[in-house]
Amino acid sequence: MLFRQAGILHTNYAQDRALFPIPADRWMIGGLLLLAAAAPFYMSTLYLSSYMLPWLVWTAAALGLNLILGWAGQFHLGYAAVMGIGAYAAVHAQRNGVPWEIAIVLAGLTAAVIGSVFAFAALRVKGLYLALSTLALQFVMDWTISHVPAISGGTQATLQAPDIRILGQAVTSDAGLYYVALVWCVLVTTFMLNLRRTALGRALVAVREKDYAAAVIGVNSFYFKLVAFATSSFIAGVGGAILIGTFYHAVTPEQFSVDVSIQALAMVIVGGLGSIIGSYFGAGFILLMPGVMNTFISWLTAQFGFSLGIETLAHLPHALYGALIIGFLLIEPLGLGKIYGNIRDYLLVWPFGYVKK
Amino acid sequence: MTENPTEEVLTLNNVEVVYDYVSLAIKGVSLAVPKGGMVALLGANGAGKSTTLKSISGLLAAERGEVRRGEVKFQDRNISGLMPQDRVKLGIAHVLEGRRVFEHLTPDENLIAASAVRSRHDAARNKDRVYSYFPRLFERRSSAAGYLSGGEQQMLAIGRALMTQPKLLMLDEPSLGLAPFLVAEIFQILSRINREEGLSVLLVEQNAIAALEIVSHGYLIESGRIVMHDTAEALKKNPDIQEFYLGGAENKNFRDIKHYRRRKRWLT
Repeated sequence: MLFRQAGILHTNYAQDRALFPIPADRWMIGGLLLLAAAAPFYMSTLYLSSYMLPWLVWTAAALGLNLILGWAGQFHLGYAAVMGIGAYAAVHAQRNGVPWEIAIVLAGLTAAVIGSVFAFAALRVKGLYLALSTLALQFVMDWTISHVPAISGGTQATLQAPDIRILGQAVTSDAGLYYVALVWCVLVTTFMLNLRRTALGRALVAVREKDYAAAVIGVNSFYFKLVAFATSSFIAGVGGAILIGTFYHAVTPEQFSVDVSIQALAMVIVGGLGSIIGSYFGAGFILLMPGVMNTFISWLTAQFGFSLGIETLAHLPHALYGALIIGFLLIEPLGLGKIYGNIRDYLLVWPFGYVKK
Repeated sequence: MTENPTEEVLTLNNVEVVYDYVSLAIKGVSLAVPKGGMVALLGANGAGKSTTLKSISGLLAAERGEVRRGEVKFQDRNISGLMPQDRVKLGIAHVLEGRRVFEHLTPDENLIAASAVRSRHDAARNKDRVYSYFPRLFERRSSAAGYLSGGEQQMLAIGRALMTQPKLLMLDEPSLGLAPFLVAEIFQILSRINREEGLSVLLVEQNAIAALEIVSHGYLIESGRIVMHDTAEALKKNPDIQEFYLGGAENKNFRDIKHYRRRKRWLT
């Protein structure tokens, strides 16, 4: 079969600890990377810039949220606000003549600093209380951004984002912007894949499973929660800056409002907590499914020749989309990533039904 | 063991449990608990003892496990599709490993909480009965259960199970982490309940010495399979059981022991 464990014998530790120990995975990742890199050559600009690009940018953002939610197990309802901090920081830095490459790093650092200063206070509480205090971060940031003219340029204002310049070269073509998003997404994914194998990743998982059990084996749970918040805020900040630079080209406070936070949360939960491939599926599902549903329903009405009222037509896709989310979570509470994992496990042990562990 | 199937309160037939769709935990476990009998399920860590109990009480779903094959029959009725709470109504009580009392409630409230499936009148009577078996609980009935000692919490867990008026009581390692004299006390109470009320008991234990003292029959499970089944007397005399589960024969000359570690495998 496609995935096969039989006959794959690792003879040294390096092979055993490889990022993808099963060759089928390596081939698949390689193939997908090639497909992604060649996308501008076979995809129309519409698909490239309005589906692929936001999908990649949001996947990277969802991975950052997954770090805090899926790995460290801490609620975060203010993720969009942190992205917003990064976006505004990058735009202001660029407007003041800072090169883009440095501006996005500044964006990440600003988000990380503000995120961890906030986390320093918020992490003293746990669970639902933490969820509420991160929600407070969202509202505080929303208010600050829209009420401080130095940041937002005045109420209701829209700040134009300067063009992305890499080594002084302006990147304006659709393909160029797509590659910026692709590189960022691949970077974050590589980081997250490797996080699983590092001491930091293991410490985060220990804190997630039981923070006081982690404490008695010498893991400083508060410190690692803080590190998780800072790292995830950094990814969020850069992600926000890239979202503005490649997709929106202008920044307003509404782009990072509370419902965007909820949407990011939905991406992670629908995709699967602690699952990297799940973040890809989750971001794709949340971003693209409403559009797909719309097309599907129009196709259905055209195909079977019945007509729906304009109200029904507007609301039916959303209702179906919600039903789909519930449906998938009922089938597999651990999300789309786990559904993929189940299929993969099935193929790994095929033709046998299960393995004795 | 009697030949008449109606005399058995619980029978497991070739039960196979798979966790997370791929990992096989127990493969074809069959066992029977006679009505009013006391049966022990012995085995090493990870042999599948707790999984067997969870397949009977219906708690596998929470751990992403499912019974793939075989049937669990309680009083000649196949209960495989029932929810855990419905199995409690039928009369199956499962005392979980690690006690799991409601820490913020008092013992009194713990017991009342467990009376949800019985009438209010029964609840009061059952509570008196539990307190008569465990006088220590009565003394401490109004302090928070989380502050009880390990042994008292274990008594509370057993008492809580008794509140549901079970026909079958399943205990998952009641001796875990308890002082030997407390183990003896709890086991004595268990056999008293069994004797006085005819309650069937399925006891899962690592502490084989203590368990074989009070049960009539024992099953030995290893790597997810039942590898031995006999009366408690016969099991106690079995040389393999003595060596691997009862701490070995005494007065052994260590010069005669083979130098590699012997590990008994009954199957495969």
